[in-house]
Amino acid sequence: MELKEKLTILADAAKYDASCSSSGSTGWSNSKIGNTAFSGICHSFASDGRCISLLKILMTNCCIFDCKYCLNRQSNNIKRAVFTPEEVCYITLNFYRRNYIEGLFLSSGIIKSPDYTMNLLIETISLLRHKYHFGGYIHAKAIPGASEYLLKKLGSLVDRLSANIELPTENGLKLLAPNKDSQKVNEIMQFVKTNRSKHFTPAGQSTQMIIGATNETDYDIMQKSSSLYTNYHLKRVFYSAYIPVNQDSLLPTLNTPPLKREHRLYEADWLLRYYNFKVDDILTPNNPNFNLLIDPKADWALRHLDEFPKEINHCSYNDLLKIPGIGITSAKRIISSRKYFNIEFKDLIKMGVVLKRAKYFITCNGKYFIDKSFFKKEIIESSLVLDNKPQTTDNNKQLSLFL
Amino acid sequence: MKTNNIYLYDGSFLNLLNLIKILITKQIIPHNIKDTTYQPNLFDEIISLSIPNADIFNEIIKSTSKEIFNTLYLIFCSTNENKEIIIYYFFAHSLKFHNKIYYQRNLKSVSSALAITKYVSNENHKMKGFLRFRELKNNLLYAEIAPENNLLFLLSKHFSIRLKNDYWLIKDVKRNIISIYDKHDFYLISGDNFTLETLEYSKEEKNMNALWQQFYKTIGIQERKNDRCRLNFMPKKYWPYIIEMSDEL
Repeated sequence: MELKEKLTILADAAKYDASCSSSGSTGWSNSKIGNTAFSGICHSFASDGRCISLLKILMTNCCIFDCKYCLNRQSNNIKRAVFTPEEVCYITLNFYRRNYIEGLFLSSGIIKSPDYTMNLLIETISLLRHKYHFGGYIHAKAIPGASEYLLKKLGSLVDRLSANIELPTENGLKLLAPNKDSQKVNEIMQFVKTNRSKHFTPAGQSTQMIIGATNETDYDIMQKSSSLYTNYHLKRVFYSAYIPVNQDSLLPTLNTPPLKREHRLYEADWLLRYYNFKVDDILTPNNPNFNLLIDPKADWALRHLDEFPKEINHCSYNDLLKIPGIGITSAKRIISSRKYFNIEFKDLIKMGVVLKRAKYFITCNGKYFIDKSFFKKEIIESSLVLDNKPQTTDNNKQLSLFL
Repeated sequence: MKTNNIYLYDGSFLNLLNLIKILITKQIIPHNIKDTTYQPNLFDEIISLSIPNADIFNEIIKSTSKEIFNTLYLIFCSTNENKEIIIYYFFAHSLKFHNKIYYQRNLKSVSSALAITKYVSNENHKMKGFLRFRELKNNLLYAEIAPENNLLFLLSKHFSIRLKNDYWLIKDVKRNIISIYDKHDFYLISGDNFTLETLEYSKEEKNMNALWQQFYKTIGIQERKNDRCRLNFMPKKYWPYIIEMSDEL
């Protein structure tokens, strides 16, 4: 098979993995080509708007598993291919030299056995690191069920290691991925957490779950993420809106992937990791799903309007973080700046605050941006929803047909 | 009649800093500072001081800080037509405030300076990803770029670490400057003094281009197609130099 055809098959099979980040690494010494950037670098953007940072491929799309949602499942009649380790090195190095990519993201279907597959990954990455002295970013997938000493070996060669939990709940996994055992994934994550160092997965680990293939609520999903962050110190949990690639009676039929829901999950994920929110602040068992019209932070603020408006010149850092339209950077800037001068509305724009959203929830030196009688839930809610431009333009288009 | 005192410098960063140092020592507040290509208007009084080209970078860092020096350089890389006077005011303020200057965004000269540095460093970060090398016949790597800001020095620094064992050239097409890297150091020279006789690509180059374009097409998920999002991250002005995008132009 020609290299181009192999690449097409094995990139196509890898594209559903959401992660492409190349950040967080401290780099490898003694390399002859390549380094890493702590912030990560995006080299291109695909037609779906996702960042392309790494050469994202599978070692092989042959797989002994038969997970219902997966394109590469054993029972699918598709063209199969296997890269040789040298082929992967050849493409990676040539792409890297031309600055197409930041490094390699190597995953694989399970061929023959977990150990056999893992050895194939190790052989490839070993070549890159030791024969070609490649110092760029490498993210590898750990194969669940492979021996621990192989995991140790692989982890010492890569920047980031990850194992996908695939579905948010145990039941979902049993239903759709009967060959997969969540315990094995947990073991990998535990191992990486315990062994992480400058020389073992310096950029940490991440995982991914598919959203909308099973009937979990957003509350279930956030609970799962929260426990993953606490128990295994994951860098990221990725959410991947379910896209039907297979026909199966156990799978839902969706016309479009639930992208808005995926977006809300990412927003809430950020609130958990950086804004000191707890899952139960954002969602509750009685209110288990996201409001698709308003982002989780604004939604929370509207439900806790008695805590607002907050005075920019006095409130604590933690309180600043709760204000819609204020992020980490602007909150820090506000804290440092107000030692030197009294902040007014016009200064907030210069600090990077999204005033369009924040103005409803704050006062500057006791002043509200407009008559205080407008500080009412209904008024703020409708203004925030109206600001969600894309939906209104769609409506306008439809309306014009009738006019 | 009041005239506008305009001070001239030779267009280089070092010369500008030397001039600003003189102005601040003499307590002169210039109306503006321009390079020698400046076309004066009726009310301008053009002043050319004799400026030493002393290496005062370390002195500047000592009297302010490394961060402030970097900020000054980033502003200098921009195409803002008043960048020199913005540098003057930012530097003058930073002598007083030191690093606390970054929290003085209520001052117009600070907030406008920081808005420029943000713009320049954002573009620099983007170009680290969007720049594309092509391999020429003799194994030499060659890239063309045309960024809004003058990023050749910053980008060369980045690639001299990343691709330290390759010979490479980067040409800023907009400004006609070329950066040459010889496996030890890089040198910036004017495009007038240097012509690549023939741009003949290596044998592998065509294959690699094709492989990459194939990868690019394959990796996008059809069901998630989102042109607006892509354009936001990768504006069209960069497309002519990004090989996987040239098809779509």
